[in-house]
Amino acid sequence: MKTAKLSRRQLLKWGSTSALLAGFSPIFKNLVPFASFAEATEKEFKYTITKKIPQVCARACECDCAYYVVVGKDSESGVERALTLEGWKDDPVSRGKYCIKGLAFVDSMYDPDRLLVSLKRTNPKKGLNEDPGWVIISTQDALTDIIQRMKKFSREEIVFCSPGDPYTNRLCRSLGVRRSDQRTECFGTHYYINSLMLTNPPNKYYSSTYTLTHSVWGFDYSTTKYMIWFGFDSFTKCGKAGILNHIAEGKRNGTKIIIFNPMKTPIADGFADEWYPIKPGTDLAVALAMIKIIIDRKLYNEKFLKEYTDSAALVDEKTQLHIGGSEGNWFAWCKTHKKIEPLGKCDDPALEGGPYEFEYQGKHISAHPVFQLLKESIKDYTVEWASKISEVPQEAITRIAEEYAKASPYSCIPNLKRDPAGPNYANSWRLMHAINILHTLGGSFDHEGGVLLLSDVKIPWLEEIAPPVKPYPPLPAEAPDFRHEFPVTENIYQKKDFSAPGHYGIIGYGLYHTKKIKCVFFKNPFRGLHALIQPQMVEKALEKMELVVDWNLYVDDLSYFWCDYILPGTHQFEEAKLDIRQYYPKYPCYVAGSAVQKSPGDCIGWGGIAVKIGLALAPEYWTVDGSTNPEKVIPTNTGDYALKKQGIANNTKEFLTQKGGIWIHKRPYPNWRTIREIGYGRPEGRIRIYLDEILEAGHDPLPKWAKRWTEPEGDYRFSLIVTRAPWTMHADPNFLNNPVIKALCEKNFIDRVWINPQVAQEMGISEGDWVTLETNPKYMTVLPRPVKARVHISSRVARKDCVITFHGLGHRSPKLRYAKSFGYRDGDLIPQKDPNIVKKYDPTGMGWVEDVYVSIKKGGRS
Amino acid sequence: MANYGFLIDTRFCTGCNTCFYKCVQENRLHQQAARGFSRTVVLIQDNGLLQHRCMHCENPSCVASCPSGAFYKTPEGIVLHNPQHCIGCKTCVVACPFNVPQWDLQKKEFVKCTMCIHRVLKGINPACVEACPTGALTFGDRGEILNTAKKVSEANKLYMYGMEENGGTSVIMLMKEKPVNIGYPDVASYSITGRGPSTIMGAAAVATLVYVGLKKYSDRRKQIEEKKNQ
Repeated sequence: MKTAKLSRRQLLKWGSTSALLAGFSPIFKNLVPFASFAEATEKEFKYTITKKIPQVCARACECDCAYYVVVGKDSESGVERALTLEGWKDDPVSRGKYCIKGLAFVDSMYDPDRLLVSLKRTNPKKGLNEDPGWVIISTQDALTDIIQRMKKFSREEIVFCSPGDPYTNRLCRSLGVRRSDQRTECFGTHYYINSLMLTNPPNKYYSSTYTLTHSVWGFDYSTTKYMIWFGFDSFTKCGKAGILNHIAEGKRNGTKIIIFNPMKTPIADGFADEWYPIKPGTDLAVALAMIKIIIDRKLYNEKFLKEYTDSAALVDEKTQLHIGGSEGNWFAWCKTHKKIEPLGKCDDPALEGGPYEFEYQGKHISAHPVFQLLKESIKDYTVEWASKISEVPQEAITRIAEEYAKASPYSCIPNLKRDPAGPNYANSWRLMHAINILHTLGGSFDHEGGVLLLSDVKIPWLEEIAPPVKPYPPLPAEAPDFRHEFPVTENIYQKKDFSAPGHYGIIGYGLYHTKKIKCVFFKNPFRGLHALIQPQMVEKALEKMELVVDWNLYVDDLSYFWCDYILPGTHQFEEAKLDIRQYYPKYPCYVAGSAVQKSPGDCIGWGGIAVKIGLALAPEYWTVDGSTNPEKVIPTNTGDYALKKQGIANNTKEFLTQKGGIWIHKRPYPNWRTIREIGYGRPEGRIRIYLDEILEAGHDPLPKWAKRWTEPEGDYRFSLIVTRAPWTMHADPNFLNNPVIKALCEKNFIDRVWINPQVAQEMGISEGDWVTLETNPKYMTVLPRPVKARVHISSRVARKDCVITFHGLGHRSPKLRYAKSFGYRDGDLIPQKDPNIVKKYDPTGMGWVEDVYVSIKKGGRS
Repeated sequence: MANYGFLIDTRFCTGCNTCFYKCVQENRLHQQAARGFSRTVVLIQDNGLLQHRCMHCENPSCVASCPSGAFYKTPEGIVLHNPQHCIGCKTCVVACPFNVPQWDLQKKEFVKCTMCIHRVLKGINPACVEACPTGALTFGDRGEILNTAKKVSEANKLYMYGMEENGGTSVIMLMKEKPVNIGYPDVASYSITGRGPSTIMGAAAVATLVYVGLKKYSDRRKQIEEKKNQ
């Protein structure tokens, strides 16, 4: 065999040539086809889908979006679990969309800090500096203990802190105990003013709902032509998919959006046609001036006012009340016949003029129509006056009022939650009244393109499917949240709607000062102590309580430091649901959801707790025959009942498996029909502009200007603007204990207080500096607790007299590994109210969450 | 073969970051996201919303500058990164004018949008596009995206970003405010290719090899001559 010989010279020659070629490799590199690198794993799905479970989002916000929870196997771990969401295109609310909070809910099912067992405190001393000595106890044993201990208290010594869901309602009524809830911080003013003007619960369509947000109507965002947002665009709205998809459609259709907000939110960037940095707490002035412009220039819908409202109804000059009663048959002055006639039968009622003199029920009466009284009520509210107070240009107020009126009834002023006319200021209830009057003047109520009312579908309360066999016991005369001092809310709560929100803005004051309550039961999965303004008063009060129980998904501040028992709650995706589309009621619709998984550990649903306690302590109200036999427990599946009554399905399971879990009646919206069926006045329902009950409570039956409760004073000159990140909900650890959400908060400075750049410059504050916020001690006389936080300087704080805080941060519980010590607690700055102060300003008794001025001082690192 | 692109009409963006979280769930990136990394994220700036994501450039600087070929552009126009070929030199971090590649030291890989190629190749929109509640994000043929962007921009007097920057990208953003005022990088309207550090390094390596080789050859020849003379 011949072998090739290679001399050293030949080796060197070939070697250096090869090296030269190798050195030129960058030139050739780009010519190498990518196929040789194309085994990238990015081309493969990271999971395989095994099923999609329909669900309804009932705890992230008021939209209640319906979607599918995607379950599958994670390719890395091989474990089957809920992975993400997929849209449900048929749902008229979400229309195939969902939000970041919905996505985070999927991951929260597996939060390592989620509570899966019941806990019992062994150290009787409560407080921030005490080790509770938690021991695990079975949920059954915990409930047995709790029930035994509750038997020792009288009805006056117990309070439930919970929204008025069907189970809590039944439980509190059967036990004869009071209930208080944080929805006064969110919806109180809306709810009460809406109830008094139109919805008058319990009306034909009055419904128990899953979310219990108590807004009683929605808005036709996609069809409306003109919207005015009095702070409707909080940072939170930036994340509400169920509303945003409609607002985006409206914008594409040419809807004009006017925003009044002292902060420039991300929504305003893109969606606002005009944005005005209004002075906080003065929206009422603008709304009143708008009413005056519309009335003076006769831009109102006269036919609508005559036929669908109490505008022509006569008000007795002496009593200052509706003739015919607040819900009775009203009378009008007939211009043709020159006499009074029943309002519903009068062909030519007078809206203006008077006083009209006549005899009625043996008395001589002098009366004016409501509309005339409204006209007089707002006569001084000129644009000049409003502009001076609000710092919104006169020209803008005038033009906006005209444009709004001309677009009616395809115009609206949306208000769903704490933002516009929510319980932010002492004058907020007046703003709610004024906003509703603006809707009324244009005929936007109950009309396509305007305010959409609930109709045709409902989910019954437990009382409807299982009426109590005997009357409920009376409630204690005095409420720990002083609701009994507010006849407007007390009357609705006791006689009309037991689910009516009440009075978290005062319960801390009540628990701290009165010391009557010995047992507090919290239904708390999403809010906890953070839902309370000035929680330090409640914390002090709870230290002395004999029994504090919490039902929760986490061991948060409230649970860890002040509870005797913590019962593990079920995740919202572990529950079956039936929901009406309350926030977009344009089409009657039911949508259902199935449990994604069985609740792990020893978790228990709230309904299960209510039934157990009810059967133990008030069995006669929890059995179908009033006996004590638990075998005769009342039916509780209101969803099955609702579907069967409507003729849609025999039960929720059949609805889901055979009908796809959605029923929708896409009929044209019946304009101005529901008013007739639910409104005030008889024989046909009407919107009430003039509110007798408010007058009887010692306040103005028509909206009048009033300032905020607080004034700036010295260093206390920064108005508190409280908002929330688009990706969090209250203080809910489902989001704030999520490390991905936490990282997103940090990227966007949500864990900081935001101050105006000029203020920062004047005070020598730099980005990231620590500051201390403190409330004027004049308004916070007990247990002040200044807040220390880092600063983010942003021109989105559009006014020098404002500071923005993000709500829900500042958890202290050591059992929340990511949420602990993240951010600050803005609630510490908002004073609990002495009810005597509240009564002076506000018949609805709300919390006035932003009616506070703080000082900002550099330093104070916590 | 279709060439894809995004159109982001920021007039409809609210900064909700549903796109961010959907991306995390779709790609199972929770641990990375918890450490601050994101393939796409919207940052709330004073003058607007800043969308931080890979622009999938027409002439990607990361591809041109990568010495190992870990970055590459697919026929669909998607710029991908293969960690198996990455040497971690981070040249791409310097080269990218949009500050996109993020180096995850823990996982020893770059975090960067993949345009959900796993979905796109199956005819499904990227996860962020599916999730956007307002329809601010749209996706499709790049040519059509460019045409739509031009029309909408003209009709509404909007600024465009991504159309010409770095020689053109596959992510076109429309905005009311000047991009640079919001915080978007001020990127030149051409791409710089063929002058990356790897070419210089390559040239230096070749020169060194040649010199050493020739020196050794010369020394050896001298040795042989000296031995012959002896």
